[in-house]
Amino acid sequence: MDDDTSPRLMSGNEAMARGALEAGVGFCTSYPGTPSTGIAEYIMSRAESIGIHAEWSVNEKVALEAAAGASWAGIPSLCSMKSLGLNVASDSLLSMNLSESGDGGFVIIVGDDPRGHSTSTEQDSRFYAKAALLPLLEPSGYQEAKDSVAYAFDISRKYKVPVIIRSTTRLSHSRGLVNLCPIDIHDFPRPLKMKENLFNVPDPHLARRDLRIKIRKISEAFDKSTFNRLRVKKEAELLTIASGICQKYAEEAMEEIGVENTGTLGLVTTHPLPKKVVAKAIKRAQNILFLEETDPFVEDAIRSFSTELISVSCKFHGKQNDLVPAHGEINTDLAIQGAQKALGLKFSRLDEKEEKIRESARKLLIRRPLTFCAGCTHRNVYWAVRKVKQRLGGKLFVAGDIGCYSLGVFYDEAISTLFSMGSGIGIASGLGQLHSFGLDSRIAAVAGDSTFLHACIPALINAKHKNANVTLMILDNSTTAMTGFQKHPGEEDQPEGQRMVSIEKIVQAIDPDFYAVGDAADLSSTIALIHSTVRKDGLNVLLFKSICRLEEQRMGESYTEQGRVYIDSDACHGESCKICAAQFGCVAIGWHDETARPIIYDHVCVRCGACVIVCPHDAIKQG
Amino acid sequence: MKEDYNILIAGVGGQGNLVCGRVLSEAARLKDLHPVIGETFGASRRGGTVLTHLRISNHERGPLIPKGRANLLLGMEPLEALRASIEYAGKQTVAVVSTARVETPESLSDAAEYPPTDKIIEAISSICGEVIAIDPVEALEKSGGLRLLNSYLLGAISVLKGVPISKDDIRESIRRTLQNPDLNLATFDLGVTDALKLSR
Repeated sequence: MDDDTSPRLMSGNEAMARGALEAGVGFCTSYPGTPSTGIAEYIMSRAESIGIHAEWSVNEKVALEAAAGASWAGIPSLCSMKSLGLNVASDSLLSMNLSESGDGGFVIIVGDDPRGHSTSTEQDSRFYAKAALLPLLEPSGYQEAKDSVAYAFDISRKYKVPVIIRSTTRLSHSRGLVNLCPIDIHDFPRPLKMKENLFNVPDPHLARRDLRIKIRKISEAFDKSTFNRLRVKKEAELLTIASGICQKYAEEAMEEIGVENTGTLGLVTTHPLPKKVVAKAIKRAQNILFLEETDPFVEDAIRSFSTELISVSCKFHGKQNDLVPAHGEINTDLAIQGAQKALGLKFSRLDEKEEKIRESARKLLIRRPLTFCAGCTHRNVYWAVRKVKQRLGGKLFVAGDIGCYSLGVFYDEAISTLFSMGSGIGIASGLGQLHSFGLDSRIAAVAGDSTFLHACIPALINAKHKNANVTLMILDNSTTAMTGFQKHPGEEDQPEGQRMVSIEKIVQAIDPDFYAVGDAADLSSTIALIHSTVRKDGLNVLLFKSICRLEEQRMGESYTEQGRVYIDSDACHGESCKICAAQFGCVAIGWHDETARPIIYDHVCVRCGACVIVCPHDAIKQG
Repeated sequence: MKEDYNILIAGVGGQGNLVCGRVLSEAARLKDLHPVIGETFGASRRGGTVLTHLRISNHERGPLIPKGRANLLLGMEPLEALRASIEYAGKQTVAVVSTARVETPESLSDAAEYPPTDKIIEAISSICGEVIAIDPVEALEKSGGLRLLNSYLLGAISVLKGVPISKDDIRESIRRTLQNPDLNLATFDLGVTDALKLSR
């Protein structure tokens, strides 16, 4: 199977997934989240033919627990997630770490998103490795991403600990050449034998002591690892110590700065530190520049470790002395700047004239915020929210949540909060209890279908139990759209071997004071339903049947049978109105300056007809 | 190859930016070169700015083109081509820019003014060594609409000198990579024809 092992372009995600398959993984769990989604997707696409298990779990905590269980039964297990997913899973991680992992090995891959390209915050997840006293790997390239997974399983099996691999967006989402090995059809030892003593009580402190001893031994193993590469002559003027994708930036920066006597230490095993390797590097450099994504994790560890060494004369530079930023993504330019500052060299990429040219060019730029797809029913719901807010004199507060509908923050601030999975209804359950404090605003929250199942249920129970006055709007488009249409339990159509769990029935079991199903594709009824519901006291839940147009198109839907949408120029009030183009903001509606009339981009339009309702002059027609 | 060759593809989500990058990286593979391609996802389908960095080298590079170091800028949209050129272009950069504008939510709502296209091209020209501004609308009306913009522009850049991947490599890569290769290749050829007219 998969006999073609010729080198090919693979993303960091695909490479890590491939590495897991080649290493014999048998049980894989994940919850989708950018930038980590592609790992489990690759494994799932091959799972059936190899005879292994791969699932989208309901959330990351369950994913981690399920994979840990399989590991204790002796099956090599993998759990992948994004940075914020590890927060969800951390409750279990920070206690399971004290019980040994199973004989098959247990590897956790976390995808961090420096700069927060697709994340509501910026987080360095490596501190979990430190907090949980677990080994951590940070591959720097595509081949290494693949190879590091097999190494992680080796370490896990040998030392009986879960091993964490940290990737970042740039590695996960870029592609480079990878050499492949064959994947064997897996055969797991039968009968499965469960590990014993899977608890830390009554002496968790002693389990922690033992893990600390183990982590020291792993540090010694890391000293022998060929993943860490020290390239330095004697007495380098400048040595970079870089981890993850920053190794590539460090290499290129050292080529660029035109200083002869430089060196690089590329660290893949960043927790625990390979102390001998680090000590050797430190002793050979006058200046050390740390390059790593997000926090000064390696930097702090090495600065601290250096105090144990006698006669260290080198100077340390990095995020702690502001030579490299501790926010946003690192790149080659920042590496060059850091290196030049460390050596006291002047840095300027452009002369004054070039700088001025760019400055005046920059003045022309306008922003391009993200927006909903053409015909997205989330836009309809938020248009309705806008209308209802107007009717209530602005006294409607909508707490937002994580998913495509997060874009509501850019849509006339239709939602007012945006934090973590499930936080919308949680915040609303608190605000909904403030009416006795004099709060005069109605309180609502939105959540998508996958998000509802992931994290909203306890908060909804809390709202009911505490008698909060809250309306939860569930925007159910029957897919995990934001991350690329992964299946979740709430969908009617389930793959073989999986069963539907009805969101409606869960909601009804919680027994809200008012419950209704709405049709988000029907704009008029959506406005009316939200308006009448949010004014009711008690717990209200609206389940909006919604449509993801991307999913619909992916499934082969074409819109040619519906009539074309067009503008009746005579009825249109032009610039004096412009509600369709300027306020409703569907990407299929443009504006033609010369005629001062909207235009419908037919190649983008999905002919949903929502804009027909939006136009107050009946100038948008369909047929 | 002695020096790295950096291609930056700038556009708006939904324009086929990532497909362009995939075609070019597979074309580089046909030449046994070592491409690294950095894609920005997430925004790619939701109308935001999308950049694809393609670095062609004889060894593995980091996925981001250093500032000012693009050799070729493929601008799928004028405003995005300008935004990218300010950061990543320089005198060595050849820019091929589609003049077909994609308005922003704010330019549509009059919260911001989309700058005139000729001013944008002028600004890109002040940064890049050479700019080929190309209007795809007429050709694409003939072939099948703006969905084919990526193949059209791939045709346009294939006539440039100094690019380490040839026209034949890109054609072959389209044949291997894209669904409906015939229509895409026909559109590619329209891009070739129009670009040759402009560069004469």
